[in-house]
Parts: sequence; structure tokens; C-alpha cells
Amino acid sequence: MGTGFPQADFRNTPHTAVVPFYLYAAVSLLAGSVLLFLSASLFTGHYFNPGSLAITHIMALGWGTMIILGASHQLVPVLTEKSLYSLRLAHLTFWLAACGIPLLVYGFYKMDMGWPAKWGGRLLLLAILVYVINLFRSLQHGKKMNVHAVYILTAALWLFITAFLGLTLVYNFTIPFLPQDILAYLPLHAHAGIIGWFLLLIIGVGSRLIPMFLISKYQQPRLLYVIYFLINGGLLFYQLSFLWLPAAPLLIPACLIGTGLFLFVFYCIQVFRQRIRKQVDEPMKISLLSVSMIVLPLLTVLVLSGRLLSGEHQLKTVQLYGFVIFFGWITALILGMTFKTLPFIIWNKVYHEKAGVEKTPNPNDLYNKKLFAVMALIYLAGFVLFSAGILLGMISLLQTGAVLLTGMAFLYCLNVYRVWKHKPV
Amino acid sequence: MNVISNHTMNATIALAALEQVIDPEIGLNVVDLGLIYQLDFDETEKIIYVTMTLTTQFCPMGDTLTAAVRRVLEKTFGERQVRVELCFDPPWTHERISEEGKRFLNQ
Repeated sequence: MGTGFPQADFRNTPHTAVVPFYLYAAVSLLAGSVLLFLSASLFTGHYFNPGSLAITHIMALGWGTMIILGASHQLVPVLTEKSLYSLRLAHLTFWLAACGIPLLVYGFYKMDMGWPAKWGGRLLLLAILVYVINLFRSLQHGKKMNVHAVYILTAALWLFITAFLGLTLVYNFTIPFLPQDILAYLPLHAHAGIIGWFLLLIIGVGSRLIPMFLISKYQQPRLLYVIYFLINGGLLFYQLSFLWLPAAPLLIPACLIGTGLFLFVFYCIQVFRQRIRKQVDEPMKISLLSVSMIVLPLLTVLVLSGRLLSGEHQLKTVQLYGFVIFFGWITALILGMTFKTLPFIIWNKVYHEKAGVEKTPNPNDLYNKKLFAVMALIYLAGFVLFSAGILLGMISLLQTGAVLLTGMAFLYCLNVYRVWKHKPV
Repeated sequence: MNVISNHTMNATIALAALEQVIDPEIGLNVVDLGLIYQLDFDETEKIIYVTMTLTTQFCPMGDTLTAAVRRVLEKTFGERQVRVELCFDPPWTHERISEEGKRFLNQ
């Protein structure tokens, strides 16, 4: 006896290809926050210093990239409607990146651009290449690509470009071959990563997950394509004008990307307004807050691209720009999304055989909600104080902010540990 | 709810039992969510065929939900085998949510 409905080929990604990334990211957040406290005084000076480089890379790679890589192994099937191509490649990505990141961060912290930084960079580039191959092969089979798949694949290619540029800069430290000073190339590397990797990926994933969690009626793939072209157009203009039109005004790419961002915020507002599920839980609230936090780096970049500031103020704004991206926008999003995804992954593992037969807890009960609320408050206070410390050049504010952010990271790790070690009730 | 079946009485019993299977993310049962498309009862072979969907294709909870549906029906109907098939054509939309389900989500 058969039904009139076509059957679906269905295979989920197992937790082993996801959870190690989450654990690695949690430890990185704690390490990055402790390093922020130890290097707080450096945030009153120039942004190009060993401490800032080490913190930026531990936050961008160990925290942001690792958790996104892990989550994307779980989410690629949801976004692209195809199974993940290879679990072995997913594990290989983890081990290569897990070994490469500490080497690279150590190299920056000690300003040793010899073998630690070079091997760190090589391993990381290899990890990203493996990830891109896995993603590409996952998308290759079957139906046409949807807009979310286009975003995620483009983001992965930008990540590869970012890592390649980064490794080139590392080599240039010991064997100078680039025509200009290394600081001139830094914005190319940084923006390929921040906009090409993080922003595109977050929009691609967020535009799928936010309506999914809120059960929203709003669907607008055309708008998402417009955002995609605005952001990629702005980023390409920025990268190419560096090579061929150095005098081109920075406001052009800033406005293109800014328009894309505002349209994404508009998209999220529409999704929220047309949601069927009225109740919004705490992790979702903090994730939505992070969407509005996109405005902060955008404002700072508009100020910087207008070349309105000079000297000390310019340097402070650059410091603030980096801080609001890594400790603001990206961190807020991940803090929320961790407790929206990890409890479900663990719940699925622990209660797979019991659902429907025995009474099981709700996945949301796997993490401590009070701890989460305290973490969110400490985080916001630490973020505001540290930002104020950068703008005012006050070490006491920077240190207090860093202590609070370290506290936040500790509570985050505690809650992640609690979820990870959950035993059936 | 709009569930197709070849046996109205058994389908009513099955749907009542399936209200125990809750989508853990949404907190609503699979029946009120409109995830069940078809329930067919093969009386000769003693097999129950379930065709169901998920709110999102490749939802990470998919395996758990289909296994839970199978277990609940095996428990309810005793000796019969249960075969659960997933289907995404037509895809699930919010219009499949029952009035009871909409009230729950509006809380």
C-alpha cells in the first residue's frame, strides 16, 4: 500500500560533527575575554599591537568562526535541503582548525611570525578548504540552490579569501614582498572576513532561522537577493578599488553595504511582525537584539569612511569598530543562538529513544535560565563599559568592562557545560 | 487538519494518540501542527502507513519526531507494524495549524 505523496530522502547531521565546535568556541570566548582583561590598557593606543591581534583572532576564529562552522554542519541540510556530504570532512575541518588557531594566536601574542604563525595559518587555510569542499559537494547534488544556500556558499568562499590574505600577510612579515606597508592591506583582510564571511553567513542563516523559530508568514527571497547583491557589490567595489582606484571614495561601498544592512533589519522586522508564534524566548530576544547591534559598526564605519576624524579620535574609532563587531554584534548573536540550538542537539541525542513514550523535559529546560539572564545582563554592562572606556581612553572603565565580559564568558561556559553533560531525568 | 485516511475510526484513534507527540521546539503536538498528511490501515498485512511532514525540511528534530510517531502508534495498535514516511511535497505551511494550535501559539 502506498500513499500519493512523494517520499523524501532524509538524513540529519549527527551531533559528533557539531558539538566539538561549540565546546571549542566556549573555551575560546573565555580565553579571549581573559586576554581582553590582560591587554585592556592597549585599547588606549594604536589598534595594531600584539594583544589586539591575538584577541581579534581568538574571537574571530576560535569563537565566531568555530561555532558557525559547527552550527553550519547542522544547518546546511536545513538551509539547502540536502544532507551534509561528508562527516569525515566535517571532523577534519574541526581538527585542522582546532590545531591551527592556538598556533596563530600564540604567534600574534608573542609577535613570532615564524613557524607558529605560519603553521597556524596553513592549518587554518586547509581547514577552510576542507569546509568549502564539503559544502560545495553537499550543494552539488539534486535540486536548484535556494537563496540561503547561495549566501552560505559565497560566505565560505569569502572566508577562504580572508584566510588566504591573512596567510599572505603573515609571510610578508618575514619575507616582505608586498609593495605597500602591511597596515594598508589589513582592511582588505578584515573586511573580507567581517562582511564577506560573518555578515553574509549571518544574513543567510538568520533569514532562514528567525522565520523558522518565530513561525512567520513573511517570505521574501527577492529582497534577500537584493541584499546579497548590495553587500557583495559593496565589498567587491571596496576590494577592487584598493587595487585599481585607490582614490575612490569609501562612502560608496559603505553606503551599498549599509543599504543592504538596513534592508536586512527591515526583513527581520517584517518577519517579527508577521509571526504566528507570539511568545519570544530569551535566547531569541538576544539574537534579535544582535540584529539591531549591526547599526553600531555601521555608524562607526560611516564616520571612518567619511574621513571626518583625525589622529587619536580616528584610532579610537577603529578600536571601537573592531570591538563592537566581535564583542558586540557577533557575540550577542552567538550567545542567543547557542541556547537556541545546543539544547536541541543534546536533547535529540539524549531523548531520541524516549520521545512520545516517556515524559521528557523540554529542550529549553536543559540550560539554566537564571544563569542565562545574569549572563545577558553582565554582558550588556561589560559591553557598554568597555566601549565607553575605548571612547574616553579610561583604563579603569576598560578593566571593569573586561572583568564583566570575563564573568559573562565564565557563565556562558558553565551553562554550555550543563547542557553538554545533561543526563536523562 | 485535513488528514487523508482509508479508515475513519482508526484514524481518529491514531490522531488522538499522536497528540502525545510534541514538537519540542514549538511545544505543540504533531496533530495540531498539521504534520500528519495521511494514515492508511492495511488490515490484511496489519501495517499502518503514516505519511507526515516537518515544519522545515531537514529539521534536526525529524528523526526523533518520526520515531516518536512510530512508537506511539505501535503502543496504541498493539500487534501492527508502523511505517512512517516523510514527505515535503506539498511543503508544510502555517495554514495547516489547527484552530487549537493557533490559540496555543497566540498565547
